[in-house]
Amino acid sequence: MADPKPGEMVLYDDILPPLLDNQYRMTAETDVSIDSAAQPLAGKDSFFNVEGPRFSLPATEVAGVFPPRNGHGPFHDSVPHVAIRRRTLPWERELDPKNVIGTPTRVPNVPPPAGTVPWLALLLFEEGEYSLLQNVPLEQVVPKAVFQSLGSPQNIRCDAIEASLDLVTSIMPSKEELQLLAHVRRVNKDDRELSIEGSDGYFAVVMGSRLPSGGAKCRACLVSVEERWDLVPKDPPPIATSIFEVGILENVAASLAVKAVSRGFVSSSPVLASRVIPGGNLQIQPAIRNHVFLPLTTRLILLFSWQFQTIGTGTFRELMQTLDVGMIGKVQNPGHPPLTDTCHLKVDLQDRAGVPEQVLYRGPHVPFELTRDPLGPYHSADQARRVTPETGAEDISYASAFEAGRLLAAADPRLGQELMRWRREAYKQSSRADSVARVRSDLSIAAQIDLHAPVIPVLTSKVVQSVTTGAGPIADAYSLDKIKNVIGLNPDAVQKAFELPSREAAVAMLGGDAGALGASVGAPAQTPREATTIDAVAADTAGLQRLGQSRKQVLNNVAVKLGVTL
Amino acid sequence: VRTSWITGQEALRQRLINPAQIAFTEPEAEMPPYMESFLSHLRLLVGVPFEYLIPDPRMLPDESIRFFYLDRSWTDRLVDGAISVGKVGTREQAHHQAHHGPVSQQLDFTERIVRDLQRGTDSFPTLKGTIRGQQPPADIITGFLLRSGAVSGWPTMDVRAYRTDLSEPLDPANPESLNQQLRTLRLERLSPSILLALFQGVPQLVYLEEPHHLIQFGVRTVGSQLRIDLRDSTGHQIRTDPNNPRSNPIPQTVHVRAAHNRVVAIANLRRDLITARNTHPQMPEQTGSAAFAIEVLSLPWRQRFEGVEDQAEKSGGSGAFVSVVMIGSRVTDLATKTAFVSVLAGGGG
Repeated sequence: MADPKPGEMVLYDDILPPLLDNQYRMTAETDVSIDSAAQPLAGKDSFFNVEGPRFSLPATEVAGVFPPRNGHGPFHDSVPHVAIRRRTLPWERELDPKNVIGTPTRVPNVPPPAGTVPWLALLLFEEGEYSLLQNVPLEQVVPKAVFQSLGSPQNIRCDAIEASLDLVTSIMPSKEELQLLAHVRRVNKDDRELSIEGSDGYFAVVMGSRLPSGGAKCRACLVSVEERWDLVPKDPPPIATSIFEVGILENVAASLAVKAVSRGFVSSSPVLASRVIPGGNLQIQPAIRNHVFLPLTTRLILLFSWQFQTIGTGTFRELMQTLDVGMIGKVQNPGHPPLTDTCHLKVDLQDRAGVPEQVLYRGPHVPFELTRDPLGPYHSADQARRVTPETGAEDISYASAFEAGRLLAAADPRLGQELMRWRREAYKQSSRADSVARVRSDLSIAAQIDLHAPVIPVLTSKVVQSVTTGAGPIADAYSLDKIKNVIGLNPDAVQKAFELPSREAAVAMLGGDAGALGASVGAPAQTPREATTIDAVAADTAGLQRLGQSRKQVLNNVAVKLGVTL
Repeated sequence: VRTSWITGQEALRQRLINPAQIAFTEPEAEMPPYMESFLSHLRLLVGVPFEYLIPDPRMLPDESIRFFYLDRSWTDRLVDGAISVGKVGTREQAHHQAHHGPVSQQLDFTERIVRDLQRGTDSFPTLKGTIRGQQPPADIITGFLLRSGAVSGWPTMDVRAYRTDLSEPLDPANPESLNQQLRTLRLERLSPSILLALFQGVPQLVYLEEPHHLIQFGVRTVGSQLRIDLRDSTGHQIRTDPNNPRSNPIPQTVHVRAAHNRVVAIANLRRDLITARNTHPQMPEQTGSAAFAIEVLSLPWRQRFEGVEDQAEKSGGSGAFVSVVMIGSRVTDLATKTAFVSVLAGGGG
């Protein structure tokens, strides 16, 4: 199912884990037959346990409780409930695996509720009805037979609640009621504060069935009823034959009310006698039981509990309705504390010379829109100190903010490292950019060099290129190629201008020597020869000499270009 | 040995006379993710001691809510202060000076994913991709501080802010209201009873709603009788006149046990609900505990805080929600108080 939309809630009867908490045996068997003759092979048994909270519940599993913990308010109209983060928790164990309690008696036309019976119950006790026991051995909490049904776990200590057996019996939901009192809610997680995080939006909710009475101090207790067939009844006890319902009809169709009332008379109590006290309160008469030899109190494994009081106002609605609403800077008693109209607070301060002074401070919350200070960045807190022109008082708001930020950052060692890394990377790259720019200008490389591509191969190829293209006569280094194209020095131009009969005449006029005119000298002639031995090559002294000259020329060229002495 | 082309001293000189430093478009100039995330958290005051926010406790008395604008200069100084760590010389200053603008602009965007980061919905790079190029680049931040027993008693309440004053019934999942909803930048409890909320933009309507997983199972006491209201399968009350949302809801008497007059007879109530469904077929079929819960839950209370527009003019401000404007808390009618929708059809799907 898709996630619930904002404002939506999805309810589930139960959510079952794939395996209930228990001890399991896994048997692996292999069937092998050869020529249809079975070959017996030993199987293998493995054992594993699925464990979950059983005798105690970590407080972190509880996502929320209602009424709020230690809350005061008119909660006498609400039954308590607890929301558990682990959505499968109420159904991870079986209440009554051996069906000791029995199947609830079916009422005609009432199908059994869908879902599973939980092993948790939420019971409500009022002050004086219970006592809390902490860290008691399990054997002392549950009856011996129950202890055996639980598998006689050894060395378990747990918290327990002790109350009179009559009371527990009267408030304990029946097997079917327990099932109706637990469900799963799936809510939308957006638009909530952060404590919901880490949850998937699912909450198992266990409700109680007892309403607290008004003006009482109550404790709601999440208890384990696993194997408590001594306490959980098969069928719900009879309902009160409440005679005072008649006549209190309010916008109710009369037939409906009458029906409800008449149904009230159907059953009567075989175990507990009740009588009606004039004045409208139903009181329990202590019942005389046929098992008086049993202890009059009983204990239950307590997983989680919280207290609240049903006095005063304090529902969500009442709290919200009585809120003091205002913009920041509104104080209940004007002048206390003295705030300026700009919401600055006067603060006493000793300046760094030890002189007491009164300064102004304002937090980041302001009651009106402010323009953002464009003068950034600030490098020290002092830079951000301000003086109000009207009073001459110093405004330390922004200086305090600066210091707060500095201290917060300094308290985080990783941030210090990351800041340094940020700077180091930037310095490294800008230093690289500087070097690349310098190399480009020095080597007269016109092309842009990408800062992130490896620079060395690019530079090397550029260097080799300029070395090889510049391997002509040294004269080229002084750009005589350009000079010889100057009209006065160009024999072709001279011949044309003076209408000389031949180019040679012009050459002779300009001095006669091609070299003097800076003309390029052709590449030395290559001697083509067959593949030969290295000795034969070494014997060619003339060739070696020419090679040596070329090398010297290249080196000279480089030296001249770089302006260095080799 | 050749002399090197540039000395360390010269490199430093070059760097200092060149205020642009490395171009901020280069990947090396980008802030490391941790630093960017830390600074954007600072932008939303994460970790700032409470005394800095509220210098005098009387500015946020018990059971009060205070709305505010966030002073951007203040948070900018906070970030400046954080960056000043390890800034020992002019080189670092020159670097910060050169990169201040881009850093500040980047944080204007990154602050929008702080809530997702806090919630751990996704990784920093993925989330950063979702807000790249979003408009407007820098927005007004508003919010409120709430100090109330409701914060501790009802953790994880719903908080939403809208740029227009939408009227009830307001369905937060409706595309129209989603379109008007302001981005919640931060929603966090600073202490058990203090809630801080920050929104991107100026709201006309802010509402707080009881958390849905703590919606209580409640009854109404009428005289000495306990009642609940019948609800349809979406959780809405069934009215005596289905066309009139203000007509009376149809009640159902809740019986108690004979043995204890404050213990609700749960199984009996379910039986009554099954009978009631014969007359009111819009009720969900009583299959299991989920269908049962629908009938017995009370809907969450939604508290609205609205800007009062007609006073805005007097203040000469830019609209409602200005300092001198009273923020009225309006009691919304019970019948229309919420447009809570609960989808269900029993059965653990």
